[in-house]
Amino acid sequence: MGLWGLMGIGVASCLVGTSNIRWSRPSLMIFSLGILFWGALGLVSPRLVATASAVPGVLQLTPLRAYFLAILGLVAVMSTWYRWGYHEHGGAVRWWISPFLLSMVTVLLANNVWLFMTAWEGMTITSFFLVTTEHDRVEVQRAGYIYLVMSQMSAMLILAGMLQMATQLHTFSFSTWTLRAGALPNTSKNLIIALLGMGFAIKSGVVPFHIWLPRAHPVAPAPVSSLMSGVMIKLGIFGVLQFLLFDLRPIPTFWPMVLLAAGAVSSLLGVLYALMEHDLKRLLAYHSIENVGIILLGIGVMGIGLNRHLPALAALGLAASLFHTLNHAVFKSQLFLAAGAVEQHSGTLDADHLGGLIRTIPAIAVGFIAGSLAISALPPFNGFVSEWLTLRGLLGLSIHATGILAVYGLGLAMVLGLTGALAGLCFVKASGVIFLGEARRPVYHRRIPISMTGPVWALAAVSLALGIFPNPLVRVFTAILPGSTPAQALAAVTVPVRPLYTAALILFGVVFFVLISRVWDVRTVPRWACGRVPDASMQITSASFTKAIRTTFAVIYRPHRELQALGPHVPDFPAQLIYQGGTRPIWERYIYRPLYRGVWTASRLSTHLQAGPVRLYLAYLLATVGVMLALLH
Amino acid sequence: MAVWTQVVGTATLFAGSPLLWGLTQKVKARLQGRRGSPVWQMYWVIVKNWRKETTVPEHSSWVFRIAPSVSMAALSTGLAMVPAGGAPPSGWPHDLLVVFFLLALERFWVGLAGMDSAGTFGGLGASRVTTLGTGIEPALLAAFGVLWQVSGHTAIAPLAQGLSDVPGGGLPWVMAASSFGLVLLAELGRLPVDNPDTHLELTMIHEATILEASGRLLSLWQWAMTLKLTLLLSLGWAILGPPWGSNPWVNLGLRCGELAATAVVLGWVESRFTKLRYLQLPTYTAVAAGVGVLALFLVAGGFGV
Repeated sequence: MGLWGLMGIGVASCLVGTSNIRWSRPSLMIFSLGILFWGALGLVSPRLVATASAVPGVLQLTPLRAYFLAILGLVAVMSTWYRWGYHEHGGAVRWWISPFLLSMVTVLLANNVWLFMTAWEGMTITSFFLVTTEHDRVEVQRAGYIYLVMSQMSAMLILAGMLQMATQLHTFSFSTWTLRAGALPNTSKNLIIALLGMGFAIKSGVVPFHIWLPRAHPVAPAPVSSLMSGVMIKLGIFGVLQFLLFDLRPIPTFWPMVLLAAGAVSSLLGVLYALMEHDLKRLLAYHSIENVGIILLGIGVMGIGLNRHLPALAALGLAASLFHTLNHAVFKSQLFLAAGAVEQHSGTLDADHLGGLIRTIPAIAVGFIAGSLAISALPPFNGFVSEWLTLRGLLGLSIHATGILAVYGLGLAMVLGLTGALAGLCFVKASGVIFLGEARRPVYHRRIPISMTGPVWALAAVSLALGIFPNPLVRVFTAILPGSTPAQALAAVTVPVRPLYTAALILFGVVFFVLISRVWDVRTVPRWACGRVPDASMQITSASFTKAIRTTFAVIYRPHRELQALGPHVPDFPAQLIYQGGTRPIWERYIYRPLYRGVWTASRLSTHLQAGPVRLYLAYLLATVGVMLALLH
Repeated sequence: MAVWTQVVGTATLFAGSPLLWGLTQKVKARLQGRRGSPVWQMYWVIVKNWRKETTVPEHSSWVFRIAPSVSMAALSTGLAMVPAGGAPPSGWPHDLLVVFFLLALERFWVGLAGMDSAGTFGGLGASRVTTLGTGIEPALLAAFGVLWQVSGHTAIAPLAQGLSDVPGGGLPWVMAASSFGLVLLAELGRLPVDNPDTHLELTMIHEATILEASGRLLSLWQWAMTLKLTLLLSLGWAILGPPWGSNPWVNLGLRCGELAATAVVLGWVESRFTKLRYLQLPTYTAVAAGVGVLALFLVAGGFGV
């Protein structure tokens, strides 16, 4: 009953959104709050919700679903709040955002394949329209097209995997899958995991299926980017957790290893690509790939824990991945909303045009720096806790294993350490170039309303609260862990590092040293410019900040540069120098372009089969019947 | 009882860290054939700067002003987590990973301060400091890889006892110690990675980020620099050093002696090496990490142990 009510509010919100401008945002807010409420309720009292509100065979609310529902609700509330001040072009967002939310809710609550796939496709289509809000720009059309094609591939793979599972188990009901899928033979499990895993990986933007993500997220309006990056790509994570690890448990050990490798590659490459970006929203989009990779590392740890019957390790991995899922939703939507405010304020997101925004939009700058600390996994923010859990889990692999697996665990932990340090570098660059220092070019400054700073600060507060008091949340995860959970595993899932003490010590130290150093009692003087007149162009740029990284990881970036000298006395005394530099998109160039060409060639060749004459089609028919008869006899 | 030892120990190390710095400088000077400034010099420098007027560069914001305080706070918190005089009191947070995260927090604010100074050197230094950090963080994890594996913990105190229980743990110990030693030099910004005594534009790393700092802000930065030295050396001794005795106050005294001895060695190392090229530093940290991974290989693979 209750879940139907939630869906009803969603449908009403969709209808209001299409017809009434004034009530569209309030109705969406009511819907978002409803999602948050049901998610929280499902987490607090799972049994009550499961019995009182489930609709047998159609909708269900398990603790894992409730957790993702709560994340969706939180981000939806914040992005809806933000829309009060955000300048939107046209009515596309108003039209499509309610159906988008409704389809995500349905994906989470669906209890059979048909409802799930319908909602999944609905999610793709509605988000396609949201991405192409500014469809008069060519690059938006292109991004939208790539997004749609990749999403369709993902949906078809998932459908194939689900139909495979349904044929094996003779049922379309997810709750029955949970009970019976574990008994499937390993060969069918492998096929299902490969299909579903690839489908969900595309949706989550795991490398090498990531190419749609840095294109689609930046062109969408900021509230939509925050929903897509904060929640939509997490539904792929939900799928991996629910269908691969919970339903099909125990799975062959090969698969958790693949998850770990995919997580490591995604996290490292995601952050490395992010470093080279000058557009703030593209940079954030690449960081989504990184964070999905970190979540996958946690999931891989859980998979190995489940396989090797190490409940403590499984609990640690689950806590790490789920905690990071929430954390990423919080700080990434915070950062995307702040980026939207930067865009609305100054009209550009190009880092090399900006600078010194901390003086014109101080509140957004605080929100962005807080988000940067969180995403760089620094205490006392939430990213620190989940990255600690993930690192602990990876080192746990090393502890519980011998030989090459121990080194694998340590290697993954080192990759995560490198990722964290690179993320820190990237956000020193992003906050520094955009918010600190002096403005690089004069840009138009529009005022930012309080309804846009409000959600950014609220998310920062959530992020801080999760970083200081993680244990209540971590305890919730014990309800999600499948199977019987021994007491030892329960104890292991609390965070033993006392984030409260750390936060209190840091805060006390900062306040103490700020007070004794009397930071307000200072005199402003010109900068040191070696005796010359200082100006804005002597500040470091986004490209030069990462020069050493580009050189160190040249094998990944394939950097290239062209220096062209012009003038009558070339090469010795050029009058003008033209410099062009950049990195090569290897995935697009060496994988996707040949793939695309191959598909086109195949489709062109196949036109010969379908040339038009009826006699040819009759011949096909006869041949098919003949082959079938021969095979069936 | 144990709480008081920890509190007193932390306070002692906090207050004594400029002395440790002075000791290193003194040894360096003697090995270079100079008499050098007194070992107390760092205190006088800090006090002198504290009394001077504090100026901030134009276009800087509150970030530049609070960054040294955050740096001090992060490092002091880290120092408080390292057991100083025996096993830490129960419930005292002393996780090694948390100390690493605190070091990253400090680095982040050093970078932000550099970017906020709106000058050429600040941004350059911020870029260099954070780039160096990308080599240091995985190497720090790798240096203690063998200890995680053997002890099964990331807390500092059990970690410290891990290898002493393993028969034939000598070689892995040496490897972990040398790996940590190499990373330590990088993290501290000492030669052969960075030269704390130079202000040459082309070479300075950490100094570039604080070039615009003056007065009280500079004092805090300088104290933070010495604090980082104490924190890392103390961490190294807590993990790789000999097991604790029974009397906490004797332990604390021993720790101070150990730190002083290491500071002397550090001064010696500094005067033996020249600075590496900046672009060669990834190789340097990779070697440090490689030694740590090899040590884990030895133990986990069962070779030689």
